[in-house]
Amino acid sequence: MTKPLQNKLLAYWRADFVSAKGFYLRAALILVAFLVAHLAGLREYTTFITGTAAGTGASLRLSAIWGMIYLTLYFSAVILAPILILAATFWIGVERWNQKRRRANDH
Amino acid sequence: MLDMKIEAGTVQPIRRRLAMAAVALVVGAVIWLPLVHLFFAKPSGDFYLAKGVSAKARELAAQQMATWRNPESLRRELDRMRATNAEWDFMGRCFLVWSLANLGLREPAAKPAYLPVMDQIIEETLRLERERGMFVFLMPYAQARPFEAKPARSLFIDGEIALMLAARRALEEKPEYLPLLRERVDQIVTNISNRPTLVAESYPNECWTFDHAVALAAVALADRLDGADHSGLRDRWVAMAKTNLTHHETGLLVSSFTRTREPLDGPEGSSIWLIAHCLQVLDEPFARDQYERARKELGRTILGFSYAREWPVSWRGEADVDSGPIIPGLNISPGSSGLAFVGATAFGDTDFTASLAATLDFAAMPSRTDGRLRYCASNQVGDALMLYAATLGPLWRLIRVGSDHD
Repeated sequence: MTKPLQNKLLAYWRADFVSAKGFYLRAALILVAFLVAHLAGLREYTTFITGTAAGTGASLRLSAIWGMIYLTLYFSAVILAPILILAATFWIGVERWNQKRRRANDH
Repeated sequence: MLDMKIEAGTVQPIRRRLAMAAVALVVGAVIWLPLVHLFFAKPSGDFYLAKGVSAKARELAAQQMATWRNPESLRRELDRMRATNAEWDFMGRCFLVWSLANLGLREPAAKPAYLPVMDQIIEETLRLERERGMFVFLMPYAQARPFEAKPARSLFIDGEIALMLAARRALEEKPEYLPLLRERVDQIVTNISNRPTLVAESYPNECWTFDHAVALAAVALADRLDGADHSGLRDRWVAMAKTNLTHHETGLLVSSFTRTREPLDGPEGSSIWLIAHCLQVLDEPFARDQYERARKELGRTILGFSYAREWPVSWRGEADVDSGPIIPGLNISPGSSGLAFVGATAFGDTDFTASLAATLDFAAMPSRTDGRLRYCASNQVGDALMLYAATLGPLWRLIRVGSDHD
């Protein structure tokens, strides 16, 4: 990994939650976590909603735990992550516009 | 400096950053939330077609048939449903047989594939009932006290089995099923008409409008097949229901009641959508009236996604195995939302069908393998119900106009 890219990733990792970078980072984390849960096959356990245990032989209780984890990550990935990305993009846009305006005022 | 944060070379008070974050999140939500449904929206024809077989019906049928052809997967599916509710095992069989009959009437060339599965389900169901009694498909409380009618019969079991037998014979005559259907119809007619109240039990002193509607629809189909005429009983029952089983505030039929017609529940989404569908072959204007009332009282659409409540605003019951867990806030009922598909397709409500289908693809976790579709957040009975909603029509047309075989 090149030094500038490494520095950039580190900056994102260290970014405060309440910042555009923080929003991007959280969105990325949600998407990665969802991908891991999906690839791990947790989707099967969402059958717990019907009061039925998953066909994997898991108990209803275990199905509910895995199923809830999957549902939380799924809805976060589909609803929350895009909102965070749009919010971060909007925030950056506003900051750039403010900077331009300040520079114009300084001149 | 405690109240300050540094980012991108600028110093911002934390309060200003929090305000900016809130504004940005609101902007993101306002842009994104109305767009989400577009990723799941498809024309209603993807779920239901008036003629032919929709893509979804074909995929759902392929999965259901594969399950019934594989003894191991079948046992696994039925066992995990029975662990929660033995009724689901029974209803999953019924919805599938009724669906396959509709599919066969829509696509006669595929009948040879459907008929053996239908016969397998019917024979296996009758065998279980014969060997272990009707309680094998009822919830345990059915044995907590005796049925009031003697001998004990459950209209739930008789009605749905009768409709399975009639649906099979409607697709293609099977002489062995003729006496079985006749016997079942006689039982239904006797049980309902024996009492001046015109009601029959499904559980001890517990009668369900859903079960009466299914049983009388089965009698109507049997009449069409065998040339009998029980229209007098059907008309009397509908007149009785309009007078005695209607919820005052909404005009919707109540779900359950005692043998003396004392309501045990108010109107429920997990009953009324299918009741309205069955009423289509008993009293079409009343059926449409019930559907439209249910649509107004229970159907909801938010941001392009539709769902159904279990209860109208004017009445509240307890969540149970029929309603499924109620999602708070919006009062979403998985049971009512699933059955709302039956109402939507039966009454040609294409907008509602399309937006319910968007919700299904968004929230029920579809899983596709080799042209087969199942919903991970559902189970066999839920998927069989979806298949029924995606295929219904031909059997009812057969009763109403008698023209599908002509």
